[in-house]
Amino acid sequence: MDIVLLRVALSLYSIGLVHSVVTVLSSRYTLFRVSLAAVVAGWICHAAAIALDAGEPVLTPLTDGYASFSYLAALAALGYLIAYARYRIASLSVFVFPVVFLLTFIAYMGRHASTSSVPAAIASGWIYVHLPLIFLGYAALPVSFAGSIMYLMQEHGLKSKHLTGFYRRLPALEVCDDLAYRSLAIGFPLITLGIVSGALWAQAELGTFWGSDLTVVLSLLTWFIYLLLIYSRLINGWRGKRAAYLAIAGFVCVLASFLGAGYFGGFHSFTP
Amino acid sequence: MRLSLVGLSHKTAPVEVRERLAFEDGDLGDALKSLAGFEGVSEAMILSTCNRVEVLAEGTDEHLIREFLCSYHRVPADSINDYLYGYRNHDVIRHVFRVAASLDSMIVGEPQILGQIKDAFRAAEDAGTTGTHIGSVMKRAFTVAKKVRTETAIARSAVSLSYAAVELARKIFGDLAGKTVMIIGASKMGELAAKHLKRSGVRSVMVTNRTFERAVDVARAFEGAAIPFDRLNDHVDRADIVISSTGAPHFVITRTLAERIIRRRKNRPMFFIDIAVPRDIEPAVNGVDNVFLYDIDDLQQVVDENLGERMTEAARAEEIIDLEVEAFWSRLRSRDVVPTIVDLQQALEVLRLDEIQRYGGDLGALSAEQREALDRLTRSMIRKILHSPISELKEMARRPDSQPHIDLIRKIFNVRDV
Repeated sequence: MDIVLLRVALSLYSIGLVHSVVTVLSSRYTLFRVSLAAVVAGWICHAAAIALDAGEPVLTPLTDGYASFSYLAALAALGYLIAYARYRIASLSVFVFPVVFLLTFIAYMGRHASTSSVPAAIASGWIYVHLPLIFLGYAALPVSFAGSIMYLMQEHGLKSKHLTGFYRRLPALEVCDDLAYRSLAIGFPLITLGIVSGALWAQAELGTFWGSDLTVVLSLLTWFIYLLLIYSRLINGWRGKRAAYLAIAGFVCVLASFLGAGYFGGFHSFTP
Repeated sequence: MRLSLVGLSHKTAPVEVRERLAFEDGDLGDALKSLAGFEGVSEAMILSTCNRVEVLAEGTDEHLIREFLCSYHRVPADSINDYLYGYRNHDVIRHVFRVAASLDSMIVGEPQILGQIKDAFRAAEDAGTTGTHIGSVMKRAFTVAKKVRTETAIARSAVSLSYAAVELARKIFGDLAGKTVMIIGASKMGELAAKHLKRSGVRSVMVTNRTFERAVDVARAFEGAAIPFDRLNDHVDRADIVISSTGAPHFVITRTLAERIIRRRKNRPMFFIDIAVPRDIEPAVNGVDNVFLYDIDDLQQVVDENLGERMTEAARAEEIIDLEVEAFWSRLRSRDVVPTIVDLQQALEVLRLDEIQRYGGDLGALSAEQREALDRLTRSMIRKILHSPISELKEMARRPDSQPHIDLIRKIFNVRDV
């Protein structure tokens, strides 16, 4: 990680964080344009930091555990910007910007904590397939998570019939639902392919589809949650509150598999 | 500048008085010309709506405008004086800004007033009675009104029951294009809400009523389909929005029915509006997932909350207006004294040249250096004499009601009126 660029990106993201806090407290979007510009600028710095990274960018998450947080943050910001371009929902930023800031902050604080080379056992061409697919798929998840949170808030506001303050700024219920579902519909196939490529990789290197570490278990759990979500929506018309709760549970699993990767050990841990 | 405004509004006068002083659109041009014919009046504008009548004039005082109102409408002065308010200069600007920003409206934040002021201004322009003063005040008022609208939420939320229904439908469905609404029973308010929904993009309308002929009539008005009342259960799941207002003494839609409907809809959300008293839809329907039920009291509560929020926003709008009035006023004032300063300088320069002409010969033949010294001497004297009145004028520019002082300075130096 280019440390200066990352620091600049972090400071720019912090404007996004301030915007979120101000918006929730005052229910006014005074800072939105400024923070949107700041996050765009921050994202450019961030992307440059990743691109300038010594060595091959794709391998970095394996050699530096904290870099994966940086990746996830950059992808979450990208996911938001794409969603914003499509839906023009300002309020989504209130939920995504703090996540972006927090992930970057973790990456920044812990950048020296663990650095190692890729274990020889798993260094192979598969890494160039597995990692990009998984990360791109995960970029859609924070957006889906934020969409679900907004859905639950809006639903609560409509049912309880109190719609003042911040509730007024939330997008329509169907838009939240659509956002949460569509981002998932984009992310899910990528994650599926990512998991399949991981299994094939494990088969090629280790002779088994099933790497026995917790990241794999949590990823599969996440995958099943999202599969259930998409399947029941398509077949049984499951939508609304239950779908939102499931999407939130899925995202918590994603975070757990990321956070836990370093502690659980196994092939996805970043310490030798 | 001598801006004055006299008017009356829903806050100061009952409708019987307002209608007596109202101006017909067609008569506005003549009325403006007649006002401009009064002595001293250099610019004039008249705003006449059902809630207010206001007469704005430059170059005169309130008294004359009151006189104009009485003579034009042929009413005795003491019958209307109690209802009229009057403002001058600084307060005129403040009042005009507030009215344009809809802070003085019956329903604070309602958007029509700005359009009405724009029309009134155009009428005055057409009659040729506007000029730099009224022109700049009005243009600034339009900008300030727009600023208030975008920087506060003063006009963001619905303040009538039928609009509140539309607003809620938008909260649920976002875009209403392609949605279907069903009207159960026929009432004025139900039809009004349906009309608003249709205008907001709702695609199709279904109507059902115990009297089928009535359903057919209403359906024709909406270019929709009439449904026999006993077939209601078969069709209601096609509707995204249901407006119910029958005279039935029991529930038309029960929780069990709502659960069945939502299953048939594969959980696509549904919005029930119950405006019947006694109610048509069992309150427990609101407990069904993906169903949202609002009865007439709920809608009223939404409207009340919106109104409450408007009041908070109005307080913020007042702050914006305060700042804008001060900024605009001091700009106007400094613009007001600049001509006087220029006039003073020119008048004394003319005087200086005349005097050199007249007495220059007495000095005999002057060398170029001497001539220049004479020039410097006289210029310097004039500058010294003017120094204090000019700095005084600039100081006055910042204070309200300094016109008499400015006039006095002009008089002392015998500067012709422009």
